[in-house]
Parts: sequence; C-alpha cells; structure tokens
Amino acid sequence: MILEALEREGVEYIFGYPGGANLPIYQHLHEHPKLKHILVRHEQGAAHMADGYARACGKPAVVFATSGPGALNLVTGLCTAYMDSVPMIAITGQVASTQVGRDAFQESDVIGATSSVTKHSYLVTSIDDLPRVIHEAFHIATTGRPGPVLIDICKDVQQADAERVTPDRLEIPGYQLNGHVDLNRAGEAAQAIAGAERPVILAGHGVLLSRAEKELKEFAEKAGAPVGTTLLGIGAFPVNHPLSLHMTGFMGTGWNLKAVQNADVLMMVGMRVDDRVTARLADFAPKVKTFIHIDIDGSEMGKNVRPHIELVADARNALEAMTPQIGTLDAGRGQWLAQIDAWREEHPLKYTRSNDSHSNGRLQPQDVLIDMYRRARNEAIVVADVGQNQIWAALWWNYDQPGLFINSGGAGTMGFALPAAIGAKFARPDKAVWCVAGEGGFVMTAQELSVAVEHQLDVKIVLLNNFSLGMVRQFQDDFYGGVRSHSDLTHMPDFVKLSEAYGMPAIRVDKLEEVGPAMDTAEKTKGPFLIDFRIDPEANVYPIVPLGKSLNDFWEAPN
Amino acid sequence: MIESPHPPAAPATSPASREVTNRVRVLSVLVEDGPNTLSKISGLIRRKGFHVRSISVGPSREAGRSRMTLTVDAGHAEADQVRKQLERVVEVIEVEDVTSDDVHSRELVVAKVKSFQVAGLVERGAKVLDTGADGTTVEFAGEGKDVGDFVNELMRHGVVDVARSGPVVMRRTA
Repeated sequence: MILEALEREGVEYIFGYPGGANLPIYQHLHEHPKLKHILVRHEQGAAHMADGYARACGKPAVVFATSGPGALNLVTGLCTAYMDSVPMIAITGQVASTQVGRDAFQESDVIGATSSVTKHSYLVTSIDDLPRVIHEAFHIATTGRPGPVLIDICKDVQQADAERVTPDRLEIPGYQLNGHVDLNRAGEAAQAIAGAERPVILAGHGVLLSRAEKELKEFAEKAGAPVGTTLLGIGAFPVNHPLSLHMTGFMGTGWNLKAVQNADVLMMVGMRVDDRVTARLADFAPKVKTFIHIDIDGSEMGKNVRPHIELVADARNALEAMTPQIGTLDAGRGQWLAQIDAWREEHPLKYTRSNDSHSNGRLQPQDVLIDMYRRARNEAIVVADVGQNQIWAALWWNYDQPGLFINSGGAGTMGFALPAAIGAKFARPDKAVWCVAGEGGFVMTAQELSVAVEHQLDVKIVLLNNFSLGMVRQFQDDFYGGVRSHSDLTHMPDFVKLSEAYGMPAIRVDKLEEVGPAMDTAEKTKGPFLIDFRIDPEANVYPIVPLGKSLNDFWEAPN
Repeated sequence: MIESPHPPAAPATSPASREVTNRVRVLSVLVEDGPNTLSKISGLIRRKGFHVRSISVGPSREAGRSRMTLTVDAGHAEADQVRKQLERVVEVIEVEDVTSDDVHSRELVVAKVKSFQVAGLVERGAKVLDTGADGTTVEFAGEGKDVGDFVNELMRHGVVDVARSGPVVMRRTA
C-alpha cells in the first residue's frame, strides 16, 4: 500500500537502506518497477542524495531507512534539507505498535529526534491513516516553503492489509499557504525601491525555489537596482550582469558589502537574513531607512531584521505584482550605480596565481575552479561541499543560469557534496555534474563512491586536498590566536588508491600545467572520476569579515 | 508555572527595531489532538529560546481539537515570533494573541489547609470541597492576581498543599 501510494505521487527515485523494521516494504519493492531504488551505503548518504536530487530537478525523492540507528542516521541529512528548504519524504520503519515504548530492539523515538529538523512528521500506528498521511506528506513537503517530511510507520502497519483507498482531497486545517499578494503593499515596495537614492536588492534561495529569476531580472532592470545574492541564492541573478553585486554576507564580495552598508533602501527577497548575511546584526545596513522583506514564510518577518514593508508571498508572485508599479526612478540613480562600479574596481575578487612567485610553486584552488567552470560552459551542475572549497566555488562561479550551484548553506554539512552530486546526476542525467570537495568532508561520506561506481554515474570529483581542515585552520590562524589545534589532517588515505579500490579511475595533480590535461581525462572518461588536486595548504578564503565584526570590516586578499 | 533554566535575555536590537512591545504574550491556541502535538509545541518553545510562564490544555468545543492557553515570554526574540512560530506547526490550527485584549482570565487553585476555621477564605469566594480529620480542602477561582492573594492568605491557615492551574482566557462580551 505504501509503494502504491508513492507511485501515485509520481515518485521516481527512492534512496534507501533495508533493515529489520522496514523489511515488509522491501519485500514488495520488486513488484513496483516504476520506483527505482538506489541502495546507499549509509542512511545519511540517502538523505543527501534525495536532497541533491530535489535541488537539481525540483521534485521530491523518497528516503527509506529502518528504525533506530537507521532512522537516526538520517538526522543530519534531514537537517541539511530543512535548513535550506528542500522537499523530501523520509519513510522510516518503526517497531510494531504493540512494541512501542518497551525499548524494543532498534527502537528509538524518531519523531522526537527529528521534529526540530523536519517541516512536519507523522507516526503511523493504523493502516487506515496511511493513504491520507502519504498524500498530505507530499503536499506539505512541496508547497509553500518546501521542506522534509518524515513518516514513521510501525512494522505491523506495513504488514497490514486494507482496502485501497485513494484520498481525493486534502484537509489540513493547520496548514495554510500564503499565495495572495497584497497589491497595495507590493506597490509601496516597488515605489520605495524606485524612489530610493541608493537601493539594493538581495536575493536568496526562495527566488530559485519559486523560479522567479526572470521576474527578479525584470524588476531589477526596470528599477535600476543592483542585485546581490546569498550563498544559496547563487544563480538567482546573472553574475555577469552589470547590476550584479555577486555574493553577499560575511564572505561576500567587497563591492556587495559596500553597497549593502551604504544602501538607503534594502529589499530582501526569499531569504532568512541569517547571521552569515548580516555579520554583526547591530551594524547591518546601518544607513537603511526602509527595509523591504519578501518571503513566503511569515515567521521570517522580523525574526532577524524588522522590515518596514513586508510581503508574505511567493517571490515570483510578489515580483510580478511589483514590476508594473515601479514609478519614476530617483534622479541620483546613475550616480549610485557609478559608485558601485567604482567599488567593483576598487575591491575586485583576487587571488595569488599558482605561477606567481608568492605561491611557492603551490597549486592555487582558484586556478582549478576557473578551469572547471570554463569547461562547465554555463550549463553543468556544480555541487560543493562545506568549507573553503564551498566559498571558492561560490565566488568563482561565473554562470548566468539558475539552479546549477548546489551546496549546504544553512546547516553547513560536511560530507554533503558527494552524495548530493550523485542525487543530482540521477535527477539530471542530461547534465554534466561536478563535485567540489575538500578531503575532510569527502571522507565523511566517501562510502557512497560505491553508488557512483555501481550506476556508472558521470560525476567528476574535484578534490581540493589541502591536507587540513582549511576553513578551521584559517579561523584558528586569524581569530583563535594562531593556535592550529587539530586542523591538520594527517594519515589520510591515498585518494587515487582509494578511488581505485572502489573501482573508479583517479589522477593526482599538484602542478598548474597538469590541471588542464587531468580535466581533459576526467571529461573523456565515462563514469565517475576523481582528481586529487594537492593545493596550497595555506590558501585562504577572501574576502572575509572577522568573527563578531560588522560587514564594514571585511578583509581582502593580500596583494 | 514551568521555570525555564534560561533567564529571559534582553530584547532583540534590530536596526529597524520599532519599539519593543511587551515580551510576554498570552495566546489562545486551537490544536489538533494527537500524540505529537504537545511535544512539538513544547519542543518549538524550547529551541526558539522562549520561556513558558503557564500552560493549560483542555478539550475544545470541537471533537478532535484541544484549546491551549499559553503565557509565553519571547526571550531574545521579538514578541510576535511566538505566534508566528506556533502558526508554522501543522498541528496548530489557530493562534489568537489576546495579550492586550479585554479578556476574562481565570485560574483555579485547590488547597488543603490544617485549619478548620476557613470562614475568611469562604468570604473571599472560596468553596469548601471537604473537611476531614487532617484539615479542610478548598477551591478558589479568579484572576491571576486574586489567586495570588488567595494563596498568600492560605499561609495563615497552615497550608498542607496547593495545586494551581494556569489561566484560561475568554474575550469579554462587547
């Protein structure tokens, strides 16, 4: 009955792992060939694969795990999806309803353990509830602000037989969607931006989730307002557009931070305005007279920054309603944009090139990524892990297309990239997929290489190996008294041999001139491929705002 | 009263912060009856750094739904976050913020005192529930402040035990 319901919901992929409390489901899986099941090597990998799948194609995938440790292994993956508003359905086996509360074998309180990292969750103890629950779960996961929904199903319910009832309508009184746009309020917002002397727009993941890139571009161009994106909003606005401020936040570009800190009207759309965006909250955008906040989740209004104009609505609907209401632009607009251009010249993104004498012959990560992005030709999906590799990949991103950069922004989950890249490749077999990771995060979920090899997925892994936890090392150097405490990674595997042990070809690269040929080989090789780029262990991420400081205080790369 | 281990922090200072309204909110919440409802609401309150001053739950007029009356300190968040966060919980059907509204707010206290001389308590509006060899049991209902005064008055009668409910509220008729 569960599997039939999943078919009915249009599910294509299930990422899962069988065990004692979900065996009744697995027994019948082969009777449902439309449901493609991918056997993972650890449940966390399953959640990240479903996450990468949904981020790449917009549809939810399903995760299966057994009770106790199986379900608890999902927690990090659920949290990652929850923080970044990614739809997912997790179906966990629970001990039989008659065993609940008896500390039965592999029993754990999964609802209790996951309620802080799921949009909603259900414990199903009766077969009669199952069709309704599954139908509701998909609705809740995919509508409004998306998120993971967990269904914990007792083993006896999985085995029970009942009349197949197809729920024909949804009735969830406690779940209201904010679809309606207040036109007057939208007009007020549009006029505030148009009439501003120094307007700035910041766009988050919500713009991508509601597919509002086109509407954002139209609004920004008509309003003559520059647009920056959050880390998760990358792709919401073309980086090469003259109005682009690129990435904002405490590792954002200098010209973006200058613009935000000098703006008089700041519009934040589809974003949470978290501490990574504001740095020291009391000094965030201090010259702003009017904050405008657009988000589909009303609880975001005033959670971190109290807006003067709030629009609780889908980003696309809101922007669509706003664009026609833009009035005459402020006369000082040209001056403001010229000022931003000057800041762009004054504070460019820069790095020490590998062939510069200051690099001491060490390979610089930016050279690797620039080569990768050149090959990606504005259309490949790039999945980054967490840490320096993530910020380098974000800042040197040069696309003008949405939805192609995937990373764990809110949760910052190390080990995300490889399984998420696998999920993305299942979702978009037509697209090249590049996985960028540091060696620290990579070994956290490296067991999923089996999945990439088993299914011969064309995932190219760009390992930026700096023999350390680079971001931790950089923070220790700069903000924790220069004490390098447990940030050096020694005794790591030989990544070429590790890849070969999984049956996957790999190459090691430590010189600039080897980068291109290695990338050529990776691209030409069918199936997964890893390049172990041994990069400069001292390479740092810039710009960066020192911890606890305001966005005004960003540090730039040394000359 | 449920004491939070965390004392309420200073109110948020956001750049555009308008005047900080009273951080303690009184909310009347209609919820779905279910095994997960209470733990989801209490978990939310804990992880958002709110602080429960009082809580009372009972069946509502509609089958399958309960009415909760919550008195919550918003902690370091802005006061309206309490309502907004509760509204995100799928089991929560409706949240009414009745903090500054004109409401009847009633609490119940049941107490056992050693004394048999309870005329003073009865005069205040208490009702005698039983009288036994070890003392008298009385009940009293009223506004929170009156209940507090009543509990103080009990001290003079040799209190053995006191059980006190959280407030339940209802808007006054117009």
